[in-house]
Amino acid sequence: MQQFVNLTLGGVITGAVYAAFALALVLIWRSTRIVNFAQGAMGALTTFIALSLIEGGQSYWVGLVVALLAGLVIGAVIERVVIRPVEGGPELNAVIVTLGLFIAIQALISVLFGVNQRAFVAPFSTIGFKAGDFTLALSPNTLFTLGAVLLVMVGLTALFRFTRVGLAMRASAFGQEVARLLGVRVGRMLTLGWALAAVVGSLAGMLIAAEVTFVAPTFMDALIVFGFVAAVLGGLDSPIGAVVGGLLLGLALSYVRGYLGDELVGLAALVVLVVVLLVRPGGLFSTTQTRRA
Amino acid sequence: MAAATVATTLAACGGGDSGGGGGGGDSAENEASDIGITEDSIKLGAHYPLTGVAAPGYSEIPTGVQAYFDFVNANGGVNGRDIEFVYRDDAYNPTNTSQVVNQLVLEDEVFAIMSGLGTPTHNAVTDFLNSEGVPDLFVSSGSRLWDDPEEKPYTFGWQPDYEIEGKIIGQYVAENFPDAKVGLFLQGDDFGEDGAAGARQYLEDQIVAEETYVPGNTDVRPQISALQAAGADFVLGFNVPSYTALSQLTALQLGYAPQWFYSNVGSDPVLVGSLLARFSEGAVSDASLLDGVLTTEYIPGVDNPDNEWTQLWQRVWEESGQEGELTNYRAYGMSQAYTMVQALQSAGQNPTRDDLVAAVEQAGSEWEGPGFSPFRYSEDVHAGYSGMLVSRLLGEGSEELTPVLVTDNGDAEITEAENEPASPPESGIPDEEPIN
Repeated sequence: MQQFVNLTLGGVITGAVYAAFALALVLIWRSTRIVNFAQGAMGALTTFIALSLIEGGQSYWVGLVVALLAGLVIGAVIERVVIRPVEGGPELNAVIVTLGLFIAIQALISVLFGVNQRAFVAPFSTIGFKAGDFTLALSPNTLFTLGAVLLVMVGLTALFRFTRVGLAMRASAFGQEVARLLGVRVGRMLTLGWALAAVVGSLAGMLIAAEVTFVAPTFMDALIVFGFVAAVLGGLDSPIGAVVGGLLLGLALSYVRGYLGDELVGLAALVVLVVVLLVRPGGLFSTTQTRRA
Repeated sequence: MAAATVATTLAACGGGDSGGGGGGGDSAENEASDIGITEDSIKLGAHYPLTGVAAPGYSEIPTGVQAYFDFVNANGGVNGRDIEFVYRDDAYNPTNTSQVVNQLVLEDEVFAIMSGLGTPTHNAVTDFLNSEGVPDLFVSSGSRLWDDPEEKPYTFGWQPDYEIEGKIIGQYVAENFPDAKVGLFLQGDDFGEDGAAGARQYLEDQIVAEETYVPGNTDVRPQISALQAAGADFVLGFNVPSYTALSQLTALQLGYAPQWFYSNVGSDPVLVGSLLARFSEGAVSDASLLDGVLTTEYIPGVDNPDNEWTQLWQRVWEESGQEGELTNYRAYGMSQAYTMVQALQSAGQNPTRDDLVAAVEQAGSEWEGPGFSPFRYSEDVHAGYSGMLVSRLLGEGSEELTPVLVTDNGDAEITEAENEPASPPESGIPDEEPIN
């Protein structure tokens, strides 16, 4: 029983981490219709910037703010300088460019910060709460992670659903020409989409780093796969879907690890992905049927 | 033959400055006796993870090897030849290993490969090295794959393999913790499997749970929860150092406090301590999280500062002038380099690659060096050190709990080592007789 409870709690936490990453993928997909494979590396870069500040004696919160600001700037610059020239061409071009960026940014991190693993100390205690005489796999820090992910989810949903900017971003992503005719500054919206996605990606990096404890330039790599599966589970288009997809995946993989074996985790994620795509090709939360017409 | 004669004559005209350290020079001249050997140099190659997840710690090994070879070269080299050490980064990725070893053999034209690090990585190149006839000495891994003289006549292990380590640990736990409920925490490859197989010979009835992890998956909460749920009060880990740190932190988070025993690979207190150090400032209250943890040792390291070998390595390290401090990984590299120099001396003044292999087979079990136990080398056995001792970590040092115990694979008995610990030679450089 104790094991089941802790596997469930652990699954929720890793699920929240996958969700944080999936949210950034969803955001960039919604605002630019590109899957950004460089998302993980960009998040790792800003996390290392924050880590250097924290190791230099600054508080976690200073590091967090700097990471988010750095994400904003990096996202906007990458869109303007690297992505803009291939926008409007075949969609595959932009995707391949993000793959190249992924490798280049990871190499940049190694050059700037070295390749060694470094400890990342969580902002809150990671010691589990006690229930009677057994310790739950739930700590103040995991509550912080969960809270931050839910907050971002609510914020993004509100942005896209209730604000003019959100509407303009979606319009730019779907039909550049039409949006432009209707007076939307499409270029600015695309830049804004990248910048915001990079902020969310930076937050994901900071949350993930605290959960995985030790970070190297490649620490986001394993999560790219799971974050992508989580996003696809949720339909790639819905912030709520990304979070639910992340949590479901986290739970499933935690049970697989605890009851079956760690070596089956990659396989289990693939099975989940294939099954969902066979049953609901648009993802669990797909609402795009009408729009596609 | 004619070419060889010309080379000899030229060498003679060049002043004939042979000799220096090493034994058995006699009056013969140095010749370019095989690929990678010239009159005044020997080229050796190696592969290590210098970047990536396996780099912390392991990337220090080549600096230790280099420091010791520099020391030997500064004192006349081996038979008057300088050792040139070329090592390349494979990032612990077997595909890269094949590529860099190809480069070492075909482009750099090394005489031999030494100290190649890692089981999955090195396993990708043994077929190539054996088909090319390149000596593949002292692999940096405790897998049993290197002890296969029939199929891999050029490959030799060096450190005690994980199975005999498992046996020695298993017997110690069965004798000293007969009531413990033992949980196994294993890396999901033959490192974990061999170790568990050895331990199970003595602990079968005491083991209540076995959990594995796949390197790269950084969440070990499910595994540690499972050990806790099974009621294990003694956890035996065959894992790498970063997973020692992860398992300690996770156990702390889950309020789980068994007695821990980490096998030699995962227990380096300096590396694990440096990973854990930052946590002592925050949530974790105690800096010396590893105090009281049990482990094994087979060569002296920085935790035995009074050991004569450690003092020699300290001297070698300071003379090399490289950055950083002497660490256990550097001591490991120097110990391997010491064995390598013994092998080169035993192979004679103008060795071929086959002479080097014959030297390890014929003389290897007699070599005295930093290792606590003798090597097992012979024509039929290519396995390295035969034993180790059990110790307890205290801060960055350790205290020995058993004498040196030696054994062999399978159901061979565990006995106390009969050899006296060797002292390093005055010069710090071995002096082995050539075998022919």
